Amino acid sequence: MMQRTSLSLATLLFCGALAAPAHADDAALRAEVEALRAEVAALKAEVHGMHLQTASPATAANATATTSAPVAATNSAAPTSGARDVAASSSSNNASGGAAGSTSFWGYGELNYNHPTARAADAQADLRRAVLGFNHVFDDATRVYGELEWEHAIASADDKGESEIEQLYVEHALGANYGVRAGLMLVPLGLLNEHHEPVNYYGVERNYVETAIIPSTWREGGVALYGNTESGLSWNLGIGTGPNLGKWDATASEGRESPLGSIHQELQLAKARDPSIYAAANWQGVPGLLLGGGVFTGKIGQGQTAPPVEKSRLTLGEVHARWQPGPFDLSALYVRGEISHTQDANLTFLGQPTPVPKEFWGGYVQGAWRAVQWGESTLAPFLRYEAFNTASAYAAQPQGLGAMPLPTERVWTAGLNYFLNSNVVFKFDYQHFNNADEELGYGKRFNLGVGYQF
Amino acid sequence: MHNPFRSPCLARQIVVLLCLASAGVLHAAPADPELIRLGAKIFRDTSLSASGKQACASCHDPAHAHAQANDAAVQSGGAALAVSGFRATPSLRYLNTALPFFFAKDGTPTGGLNRDGRAADLVAQAQRPFFAAHEMANADAAAVVDKLARADYTEQFRAIFGADIFADAELAFFAARYALAAYQGSAPEFRPFSSKFDLFLARKTALSAPELRGFALFNRADKGNCAACHPSTPRDGAPPLFTDYSYDNLGVPRNYAIPATAETSYFDLGLCGPDRTDLAARTDLCGAFKVPTLRNVASRRVFFHNGRFDSLSETIEFYVQRDTNPARWYPASTDGSVRKFDDLPPAYARNVNTSEAPYNRQQGGSPALSAAEIDDVIAFLSTLTDGYDPATGTADPARDVAPIAD
Repeated sequence: MMQRTSLSLATLLFCGALAAPAHADDAALRAEVEALRAEVAALKAEVHGMHLQTASPATAANATATTSAPVAATNSAAPTSGARDVAASSSSNNASGGAAGSTSFWGYGELNYNHPTARAADAQADLRRAVLGFNHVFDDATRVYGELEWEHAIASADDKGESEIEQLYVEHALGANYGVRAGLMLVPLGLLNEHHEPVNYYGVERNYVETAIIPSTWREGGVALYGNTESGLSWNLGIGTGPNLGKWDATASEGRESPLGSIHQELQLAKARDPSIYAAANWQGVPGLLLGGGVFTGKIGQGQTAPPVEKSRLTLGEVHARWQPGPFDLSALYVRGEISHTQDANLTFLGQPTPVPKEFWGGYVQGAWRAVQWGESTLAPFLRYEAFNTASAYAAQPQGLGAMPLPTERVWTAGLNYFLNSNVVFKFDYQHFNNADEELGYGKRFNLGVGYQF
Repeated sequence: MHNPFRSPCLARQIVVLLCLASAGVLHAAPADPELIRLGAKIFRDTSLSASGKQACASCHDPAHAHAQANDAAVQSGGAALAVSGFRATPSLRYLNTALPFFFAKDGTPTGGLNRDGRAADLVAQAQRPFFAAHEMANADAAAVVDKLARADYTEQFRAIFGADIFADAELAFFAARYALAAYQGSAPEFRPFSSKFDLFLARKTALSAPELRGFALFNRADKGNCAACHPSTPRDGAPPLFTDYSYDNLGVPRNYAIPATAETSYFDLGLCGPDRTDLAARTDLCGAFKVPTLRNVASRRVFFHNGRFDSLSETIEFYVQRDTNPARWYPASTDGSVRKFDDLPPAYARNVNTSEAPYNRQQGGSPALSAAEIDDVIAFLSTLTDGYDPATGTADPARDVAPIAD
């Protein structure tokens, strides 16, 4: 946008020069030059203003969201709370995203079909989730923000669905560029966790790295400070609850599917003896480029001694990048987690299939191409390669009794996102695994999906 | 625990409710120490039996973790202690968390007391032994209460339940069982969590190499797979109880040491009868018995519901060789073939668990555990015995039993 404006400015000056009559009188010429000077000054001011907007991630996402739908869909790396925040703030002239006393609602949903190619009998169609959110503005500085979610169509004591509150926090702006949040918040790690709406990622299913290693949608209760600078740096510091290693189930497969996903607490009567802290930052100083990373750490034994995990600490760090040159959308992420003091706990799990891992990691690279655009619609093929390991190392055990690290899983995903518009997407992809493990859900398959947001 | 019997006028009105809810009450609140002491005395009182020689503790010996002290397959009772029973004596330890019988969502029968789960709680469980012909053999509640009224703790009984408690035999009999349940449900000796394994979990002692190997073999799904039904991992911060409260049909060989088996038509089918009657139509459950806790298993004298084995090593050998070497465990038919699962009517042989390890092996194959591995598993199981003394390295379940206070 800024480049286009600069080009317009140069063209205007050039055309203006050409348009000046060769034999005009001096007064008329001076008046015309003054007029052009004023126009140039106004354009300069406009360019400056746009530059500031670009440097502010939230407003950048806002500007992007209101221009081209597929671009908005692929510009999810903005380190705010995603498209709903943008929608909430797009009509606002204050920090809390709306007129005082106003309440806005938003939502998203997705319906998926998975078809394992080798086990067609396991093909499954699912109303994966339907979400309703709200944003209520108390005043210029304060709002409350919530996200209510239902998964798998029916949630009751006799069904498999879930009803949950995924986010619920109060946000208060302390200044023009920083503020504080308190409540149940998404952990600001990775590219997907804060931007998990189906129009914001490629592929029917969320990528494995950001579900198995970063347990999207990962949320914790606590307090966070957030802000951004004019240079395009946004940041988020938080303290609050963390996972509960005391509920590790060494007899089940969940810990191998997602170590943290099996012990996160989702602020449901969460054991909270040990606070966790996190820090995350994203830089968007150059249009189209996002560089970011974050660290989450805290003791996760929550004081429990059976199993003996009271000393265990989780440290999870990640870095990510996203670059969108022209019609291309390239991204990469690497994440690594460690849990300390697992030896004693695993001694009580000898022979069980799922000891507590000492290390786990994952990474992916992804390339997408907004190949065809007509009207509001965009067709975007993509290719993603992921490698991840949910238990790449275990603490030492007595000789002959230790568990072998799991093999690294490698997944190729190739597919298409068809954005009917910025808020509706149809998806198709095929996934290939190098270690087909049906128990953990790793098996060659093709997937179909439809998603929306409003 | 609130004691409803201190208000005699209310007692009758709420006794029915208590009968229904006693298990929940016992779980919810600590019992009155006086009530526990009374229960301990009743538990040890031989005068309450027809023979005058048999108390609860006679078959549930504290020194054997409240299970039988001898190696008889079944115990005898009755007026002359000459009537044989039908099942081996279970341990009464770690029953305080047991739930009333129910079918889980997936249809798995779960919970309940007695080997067939037919008693909903400790109060209900305590009734049958007082009347059973092969146990204490009282004719009715009045016969029990008549003995209670002459016991040396009668005044204590009256002090707790009211001066006129013995005027109503049914109520007094319920009161006695209420005291027994309070004792069994609340006294630490029934749930001491004092084994070497508990100390290991608390990081107060280390397991030896054979014990650790045995622990791994116990857990491994491709070896013993014992933990599939006898979970060994803490849950919600609580130490494991080594039972999932479910039921299984192992096809344990018929034990001809039980006199009742002389009758060829006699079969003890557990959940579907003959003792339990409400599930008689569920023939798919015939032969299934409750999965017991393995805490104190090494102190047991006989194993399985019919006491078929009297050594732990032979018991584990049966688990892993039942299908690889059936001729060792079952008799031969007239045609020379092995008659597997001979303690079940042929129609119910299909109910036997043959799908899970270690039962999923073929005849002639190698057992899931070698002899050396069985030794390791026994070493581990021996760490589950209560009353472990780190100084001597020995365990004695009797160490946890408090002397009876007056």
